[in-house]
Amino acid sequence: MNHDHHIELEYEPAVPVSRGKLAIWLFLSTEIMFFTALVGTYIVLRFGAPAGSWPSPASVGVVEWIGALNTFVLICSSVAIVFCFESARLDRPAKARNWLLVTMVLGMVFLGIKGYEYNSKFKHGYYPQYPRSIMYDRPNEQYLSGLKENLRIQIADLETAILEQKRAAEGSGTESSSAQPEVASLLRRAPEGDTSAAVDASNLEEKLELLYQVQSGMVNWTERKVGRTDDPLMQQRAIEALTWQINPVFGDSEQVRKYLSDEKDEVSLLIVGQNSALTDLRETLETAQGEIVSFEEADDKGDEYKEAVKLAESTTREITAVELQLRQLESRISALDSFADAEHGINEEFHLQLPMVLPSGNTWANTYFLLTGCHAVHVLFGIFAFLILLPMRLGSARAGVVENVALYWHFVDIVWIFLFPLLYLF
Amino acid sequence: MNDTSEHNQHGSRNGVFVLVFLMLCALTAVSFWISRSDLMHDPVRGWGAMLAVSIGKSALVAAFFMHLWWEKAWKYVLTIPAMAIGIVLILSLIPDIGYRMDTYSKDRADSAAVHNNDADNPTIGFYGSEQ
Repeated sequence: MNHDHHIELEYEPAVPVSRGKLAIWLFLSTEIMFFTALVGTYIVLRFGAPAGSWPSPASVGVVEWIGALNTFVLICSSVAIVFCFESARLDRPAKARNWLLVTMVLGMVFLGIKGYEYNSKFKHGYYPQYPRSIMYDRPNEQYLSGLKENLRIQIADLETAILEQKRAAEGSGTESSSAQPEVASLLRRAPEGDTSAAVDASNLEEKLELLYQVQSGMVNWTERKVGRTDDPLMQQRAIEALTWQINPVFGDSEQVRKYLSDEKDEVSLLIVGQNSALTDLRETLETAQGEIVSFEEADDKGDEYKEAVKLAESTTREITAVELQLRQLESRISALDSFADAEHGINEEFHLQLPMVLPSGNTWANTYFLLTGCHAVHVLFGIFAFLILLPMRLGSARAGVVENVALYWHFVDIVWIFLFPLLYLF
Repeated sequence: MNDTSEHNQHGSRNGVFVLVFLMLCALTAVSFWISRSDLMHDPVRGWGAMLAVSIGKSALVAAFFMHLWWEKAWKYVLTIPAMAIGIVLILSLIPDIGYRMDTYSKDRADSAAVHNNDADNPTIGFYGSEQ
């Protein structure tokens, strides 16, 4: 056996590309599987939802032209990184760096626009929340009780905040700092909320007034109306009119407007009727009280006296009941009047976040944030890679690295090419 | 050029890239146009058309920006199985998820906030039509 002789092995690469490029393509093929599955699941969910059971882009604040703009930004960045690689390949490092810078800035512009879009979703409450979001699938009893509970909590929070604010103002500043953040967070949702401005008590109180009005004139009213009838159509219409006033995304606007104006006429008539009943009742009470006074002077208080006392008592009770009904009717009328001009819904016009009906709103929110979020994280990692490349000399020696990063960036662009029509145009 | 790795290429391909860029912009406009065209009367057809445009756009990016057009056969090994597996996964979702709304129960139809064409099972309330 001759051990002196070493076998000379010559390796031939299995694929005619560099190891780095092979690695990035292996990585991209796992990414292809990940995003195909993710985007595909969304497609199946979206195609399987019949018309009207999925939020239209406009109903959840998705603006087509912003999406188109972002598409254009990413396409431009893709071209810029192509030119960056071409410049590096032809050994023009200065040019390559400029193109890399352009790509990176465009990636940041994309993320900026995305952040602006996310913010507009958060402001309206179109996002998943714990224990549940404010988006409900159907206008039913569950929605009504959810709205009632949400309103109760919002009102309690606001009352506490106002109280603490007053206490802080009285305590001349020393303890005020602890109450400020909470108040500020509530103000963010208040009408014309300006976080940079000093905390404004009238804003909080205005918002509280508004919520009281919604509570008494709309939610409690609807609840009573639903409770009083066994007719499912009447119940359904009462709840749907309420949801339409809060967020008129689904439903036949003409029909709901007619329903509301009919109801206003009806309530106005009832108010007139109850007012005259109240006048009659007060007269009866006065007569009874006169009789009681006249009998009190007499020594012998007979049956007539007892009857007069009974009448006075029952009339007083009736008056209380009629007054309560009048208050309910008047709060309904005042709510109908206050919100008559809220064409885009109470939530939109008064910057409120009341529970709303948005069929499949939760599935939409989950998929939207998952898809765009996964994509945005990829954009972010691309920008990190650019940052690492930027200080290097991007000549032909580094063309391979530049190409690998460019391949990744193009893939991120491809994902967006699918996300744009799916999320903005469907 | 097909027989050489691209690092050996010294010619400028910028013309091709600019052309692809313009095509990408045009195709984006096309999908925008489809979303407002009569094709959307049948949403599934409109969506299908938009997805076809997207597939075209991504093919352009992959072929030219990612240089797959000029690569050797190894490109198929790394792209086609990955896509096939992803697509099989989607197809397997269709029976349960894609068709989930095709048959309504009576209870569901009664309180559904969607248009319902079934005359025996009419949707009640104002939510008969989508705004």
